[in-house]
Amino acid sequence: MALPQGVTDYLNENAQNNGGGQPAAGDDLFKAGVLDSFALVDFIGVLETETGISVPDSDVKPANFQTLEAIERYVESRKG
Amino acid sequence: MYAPEQSISNEELAGQLGLEPEQIFKSSGIRRRRRASEGTTTSSLAAKALTLALEDAGLKTEDVDYLLFGTMTPDRFIPGSSPAVQKALGLREIPCLDIRATCCNALYALQVAHALVASGTARNVAICLAEIQSAFLDFSPAAGTTSMLFGDGASALIVSNEKTEGALEILDIHLATDGTYVDDLGIRCPGTEFGTTRSHEQSEYAEDYAARMVGQSVILQASRKIVAACQTVLQRNNLQVTDVRWMVPHQANANLLAQVARGLKFPTAQGGVISVLEDYGNTSSASMGIALDTLRRSGRIQSEERILLPAFGAGFTWGAGLCVA
Repeated sequence: MALPQGVTDYLNENAQNNGGGQPAAGDDLFKAGVLDSFALVDFIGVLETETGISVPDSDVKPANFQTLEAIERYVESRKG
Repeated sequence: MYAPEQSISNEELAGQLGLEPEQIFKSSGIRRRRRASEGTTTSSLAAKALTLALEDAGLKTEDVDYLLFGTMTPDRFIPGSSPAVQKALGLREIPCLDIRATCCNALYALQVAHALVASGTARNVAICLAEIQSAFLDFSPAAGTTSMLFGDGASALIVSNEKTEGALEILDIHLATDGTYVDDLGIRCPGTEFGTTRSHEQSEYAEDYAARMVGQSVILQASRKIVAACQTVLQRNNLQVTDVRWMVPHQANANLLAQVARGLKFPTAQGGVISVLEDYGNTSSASMGIALDTLRRSGRIQSEERILLPAFGAGFTWGAGLCVA
């Protein structure tokens, strides 16, 4: 499942703002500086809007959003 | 409000904590914090703040018929610190109750005081909110990113059944708790769960006697739960965020305040988010009262303006209050 364009655009823009390139599927988004704790909160808002899923507070932990692959898996699990 | 005179700058503190002064400011918005001299009691700061609050409200000590005290750095383990304030100020033999809802103490105290006044149990409830955190903090590099945040100080609020000029009216308070995160923020010992100095040598369990803060968890949960609490309060009062002129949050961290304002889409252009973090740091229980007092004394609040009071603390517990001028 591909993530919506708005989601990848947000991550790519964050990466660019932090001097990095477009993250690959398995890249650790936190180590790459694409996300931090504050950016993750904003990102989850984007993810909810773009995918239509609802992320409960108990799922708001970096492990669920560590890589693009993890995000895809998470979105699928919430849709399933 | 009352704050100890001694101010400790980032420059004075950073070396001890193994940090750079600008790093402290960038990650917290704090440039300095007040520190009480050794031997000062939390109740003595509270008594000074309450004396000022009573003067401001035009009340005498005998007018107070209920005292609430919110602190997480009490004078003693038992009893609470409110009896010390009752004695120091010569209050009547009134009910004195300590509240242990950490950084949400102001909101909890306001909700309890509001209910006491509304039920007719009390006419004038005095609320003391004070901390001497410096007495409990570890100022070594191991705890640098936690200890850099906190300051000492006190504030006091009066909830009365008579509205006086310049007073605010409480419209609503929403509070919530999720004990799942009990270990992500707080201090474990002494207590029955992890032991006391009777069951083990304190030095062997130093981490359990020190402040614990899982910063990432606090930021992630606080950012969302504070926004949700504010939205709940606004929705049940049929208000939009644009109907609120001021936001006076618990002063946790400047980046968190910015995140909450962004999440709420709170208009920040006119300086509506009140922050005193730069000068006082995070004074936990006292912080919201210090920020509110600073705003009131600035003379910027106009009649009919609404004020949102969000907070988040150990527990986790969180909430939001709504007042009108």
